[in-house]
Amino acid sequence: MKEIFLNPQLWAATLAMATPLALPALGGTFSERSGVVNIAMEGIMLIAAFFAVVFAHMTGSAWIGLSGAMIVGLIVALVFAWAAVSLTANQIILGMAINIFASGITAYLLNAMYGFTGTPVDTPMLPTVAIPGIKSIPFLGQILSGHSVIVYLMIIILFAADYFLFHTNLGLRLRSVGENPEAAETAGINVIKLRYLGVALSGILSAMGGAYLSIGALNSFNPDMTSGRGYIALAAMIFGKWTPFGSFGAALLFGFATALSMQLQNTAFSKNIIMMLPYILTILALVGVGGKSVPPAADGVPYTPKK
Amino acid sequence: MKSWRVVLAFLLILIFSGSVLLSGCSSKTKQESTQPQQTTQEAKNKNFKVGLVTDVGGINDHSFNQMAYEGLQRAAKELGVTVNVIQSKKMEDYVPNLTNLAQQGYDLVIAVGFMMHDATEEVSQKFPNTKFMIIDSEITDKPNVASAMFKTEQCGYLVGAMAGLVEKEKVGKVKGTNTIGVVGGMQIPPVDSFIAGYQQGAKAVNPGIKIIVNYTNSFTDPAAGKQMALTEISQGAEIIFQVAGGTGDGVIRAAQEKNVYAIGVDADQSYLAPDHVLTSAVKRVDVATFDIIKDTLEGKFKSGIVYFDLKNNGVGIGKVNKDVPKSIIDKVNQLAQDIINGKIQVSDKISK
Repeated sequence: MKEIFLNPQLWAATLAMATPLALPALGGTFSERSGVVNIAMEGIMLIAAFFAVVFAHMTGSAWIGLSGAMIVGLIVALVFAWAAVSLTANQIILGMAINIFASGITAYLLNAMYGFTGTPVDTPMLPTVAIPGIKSIPFLGQILSGHSVIVYLMIIILFAADYFLFHTNLGLRLRSVGENPEAAETAGINVIKLRYLGVALSGILSAMGGAYLSIGALNSFNPDMTSGRGYIALAAMIFGKWTPFGSFGAALLFGFATALSMQLQNTAFSKNIIMMLPYILTILALVGVGGKSVPPAADGVPYTPKK
Repeated sequence: MKSWRVVLAFLLILIFSGSVLLSGCSSKTKQESTQPQQTTQEAKNKNFKVGLVTDVGGINDHSFNQMAYEGLQRAAKELGVTVNVIQSKKMEDYVPNLTNLAQQGYDLVIAVGFMMHDATEEVSQKFPNTKFMIIDSEITDKPNVASAMFKTEQCGYLVGAMAGLVEKEKVGKVKGTNTIGVVGGMQIPPVDSFIAGYQQGAKAVNPGIKIIVNYTNSFTDPAAGKQMALTEISQGAEIIFQVAGGTGDGVIRAAQEKNVYAIGVDADQSYLAPDHVLTSAVKRVDVATFDIIKDTLEGKFKSGIVYFDLKNNGVGIGKVNKDVPKSIIDKVNQLAQDIINGKIQVSDKISK
């Protein structure tokens, strides 16, 4: 048992598996704080994962792949925002429609563009970062250093997100729109604009999460490779009580459960029980083991401006 | 506001029907322009319609769905039959997709994969005049269903023996931990038969070898496959056999990053990473698909189980890494002969 926890790979895998959950979870925090439930994050991740490979391979630069994916994610998010915010459509149905569409369109484009042998094997990957100083510390260095650059970008975004939401005027306004849009509007805040902003940020961050899967951890796209991470990210965000650090902590916990299930499979425990760990944790999170989570009061409720 | 809602409704309908259509026709084969003077045989073949339904892995899985598709394409080219593919997006699609093809009057409907067992049983019952073929699953009690079964324990045995020998003789990137690993997709018979053979083959040539066996519980999650492989590498594994479809792409990636070997599965996956793929346990789903289409076309359809093994080239090993010396390849070829001659019996049951 002891050697499992002393194996740096357990902790490195925790961080690696948490990243594609934490990014959409942070995105979801923005979206829901502004009052829009964005379950389309799963689909946005998948579409972005695909276009990351397309742009990276086309230009030979993984960075352009990442930027392209983020732009595509932004566009899909804006379409979602247009329907959900401007047209006050049901956000859940709309999100599901986008998710189903994403699964179909990526599978179709994959075949149409690359044929059945899949995405090209010479697709460039985003670089990994060896942190000077830390990388030579035994144990800690193996855990914290050498990840894809997106892992470190995620940490920076985490702090920026917390600062933005809780320490800036714009953040305060964004939150007010998700709590009480009527009052916010009375105070002269443009509810619609801020909700677009929340959804747009969730699209960009989900797209980063998707790009991490396709050109961060690997250099290929496989159909449905997001494997429901967009949904688990929503659970992480709820578990994290709609705060950036909470969402990140919950994502780490899910990442840890996955990493632990990988380490434990070869022990005396039943493989099937071990593999359930991350999902059991998701259910526990959703039934409120981490204490009562109160969503933003106007979360998921469309708003029609009064004037 | 009302008119907007109508617009939105139309938009949603468009998106839905679009995605259904796209996934439906994604790989409909283009028909070559009809030649004016067709012989009756050609016309007959052209009227023979073969439909293929993939499982959730889709035809880009670098694996058995892809190979079934290749077999289908070969049949279209060499036999001139009309073919169509439907890719299943989720498990609930199996029954509607199979039904869809049967209803359209396809002569032969091919279900790719063990996970379509129940769906194939159900649909074949409803369409007794349509012939069905299922890959990797035994359906013996239906007169219109043929099951293509692969003795993948045999090719698993050969790649296991190669891994065992490479470990024993410390070839190439191997440092001699005498530990090898497996990343399986799900704990199901068509995956476990590969692993069972791998264990027996490695133990036969290298009795002291340690074999780590793990499952990711998904065939479509390469990120998890990568971390699983990294976990095994951290536990000492130097050669990792992936039996995990699309998830396996991550295993090969991990082997590249940590400079160890991976063993491919189903298709010859050497091209994915020529320096780091030791070899592949090849399961010729393409051969099986083509053979059964041809037999059915010629009126020789046989229901029940059709076996594909080393003897009839239904399984085998792929391109071997340049690091592997000829002496090892010779030994593996000898083992293959012994299996064909019946001197070695390989079990498809996994050992704990």
